[in-house]
Amino acid sequence: MTRNVGIVGGGHTKWGVREASYKDLIQEAGKATFEDVPDVTPDDIEGLFVGSVQPERFAFQTHVAPMVAELLGIDVDSMIARTELACASGQAALRYAWLAIAAGQIDTALVLGVEKMNLPREYTPEAQTSMANVMDREFDGVNGFNAPPYFAMIAQRHMHEYDTTREQLALVAAKNKTHAANNAFAQFQKEVSVEDVVDSFPLSPPLCLFDCSGVTDGAAGLILMSEEKAREVTDEAAWITGSGQTCLSSNSINNLPSMSAWPQATQAAEQAYEQAGIDDPLKELDVAEVHDCFSISEIVEYEDLGWVEKGEGGQFVEDGRSELDGDIAVNPRGGLLGCGHPLGATGVSQALEVFNQFRGTVEPERQVPDPETGLIHNLSGSASVHSVMTLARGRQ
Amino acid sequence: MNEHNDENRTERRGGTEIATDGGSDRDVVELPHQIELPRLLDFYELQTEETTKISEFYDNLADGQLTTTRCTECDELHFPPRIVCPECHSDDLEYVDLPHEGELFAFSTVRAGAPMGMEDEVPFVLGIVDLGDVRLSAHVDNAEYEDLEIGDAVEMKIVEIDGPVDHERVFYRFEPQE
Repeated sequence: MTRNVGIVGGGHTKWGVREASYKDLIQEAGKATFEDVPDVTPDDIEGLFVGSVQPERFAFQTHVAPMVAELLGIDVDSMIARTELACASGQAALRYAWLAIAAGQIDTALVLGVEKMNLPREYTPEAQTSMANVMDREFDGVNGFNAPPYFAMIAQRHMHEYDTTREQLALVAAKNKTHAANNAFAQFQKEVSVEDVVDSFPLSPPLCLFDCSGVTDGAAGLILMSEEKAREVTDEAAWITGSGQTCLSSNSINNLPSMSAWPQATQAAEQAYEQAGIDDPLKELDVAEVHDCFSISEIVEYEDLGWVEKGEGGQFVEDGRSELDGDIAVNPRGGLLGCGHPLGATGVSQALEVFNQFRGTVEPERQVPDPETGLIHNLSGSASVHSVMTLARGRQ
Repeated sequence: MNEHNDENRTERRGGTEIATDGGSDRDVVELPHQIELPRLLDFYELQTEETTKISEFYDNLADGQLTTTRCTECDELHFPPRIVCPECHSDDLEYVDLPHEGELFAFSTVRAGAPMGMEDEVPFVLGIVDLGDVRLSAHVDNAEYEDLEIGDAVEMKIVEIDGPVDHERVFYRFEPQE
């Protein structure tokens, strides 16, 4: 027996290279979140869920959820936790807040995602060591296997097996970065062409610098409520209709099921679609915020989220089917490629974007026409975990 | 991070500001001006029997042989080596030899953003090597990205790790076959 849960409000900091501390970012996002829902105060919060990946390394702070409670004046009376699931930590926090409310344990939760990633330049190798240790430190991290070479190899294998082209990768980056040009909080607010992408620094070939998301400071927050409580504070909640998550007993290179497909994404999406009653996602989804940590990721996701046949992801973007006026508007926020990727905050920001698309509060240049249904997707680590959540504007 | 203009009063070392004597009568709290490599950032930390129960893997490698574990109960081959079989949870595992020659399954280059200890090697080629029953990630030495293709034959080499500890440490890398 589960209860309906809605997102009733949310807020954002500016994302980018911020002259602000980890604690500053928490306070900025908390203030913006509560200001978005005047009828909800810190006294109403029963559960607090914080998504944050590497505060121990980047901010040298642990036990961060109580810090958020203190900074925002929240007396937590039921549930408090930080979730760490690498790049999907934000969606994980959201998922557990949803579960707590759906299960009837609490009525109101704050979800806050935060990451401070930009350190003085001399600490880049130390930060990169932490990033490489997202995979098996002893056997993969030791080789310098952080995200760019890993996703470069996914791109290489996908191009090898399915004839995906370098230009198709660039189309994803150009699309998303151009959306971000009209997003006031995005890290990279500059329109980018396919040529710009292909001509950018070849960081980890075949991927170039503009195929990669940034190193980003930022935070975002959401307030979730049970349907009964939500209807007391707003008439435009975004309802969580489904949520799935999978990991196939794998994290290190040898044990991954594939280097060109993510069956975990397919399984997580099928779970969410079934809960949401979605039979044909391509027809039924209006807007999707998917995990474009690298341009290739979005192409694999078109396929493995069940929108097109395997191997046709490159053609999907080439045919304009993921544009704002396409079959599914994909990453109107600007994606990780345009907004940047403060690890723990990304999933929270994606859900806030879908909510804002539903209520029509995003910049008009990137507003999807009257969306009714949405999806957020995150992968984490060596893409060994996939998390999918579906949202709807109204309840049937 | 605060910026102070009065250089007589503060100096920045490793991101920490410390008061120095500039006529101030404040007490001075001294921090080390150089931070040594933090132990946990040493990727090769766990190789001896005091630190890991898969030390036999490293002993075998030091003796010149790449090995991994196989479960004697269910016959599952693991990589990385384990002490408990992930398939059947038996702890009756044996070390078996892996081939030292394989094919490049995928590869790229790290041109920036390398972890600690690898900054001086940039750019370097990183690959996934297919050894038949196992695919592992590895540095690919003596190779340029532009010269490589999927399927190229590569062979293992063993490197010695020189670093902050006294005992011998080794690891494996690969390079194109002659």
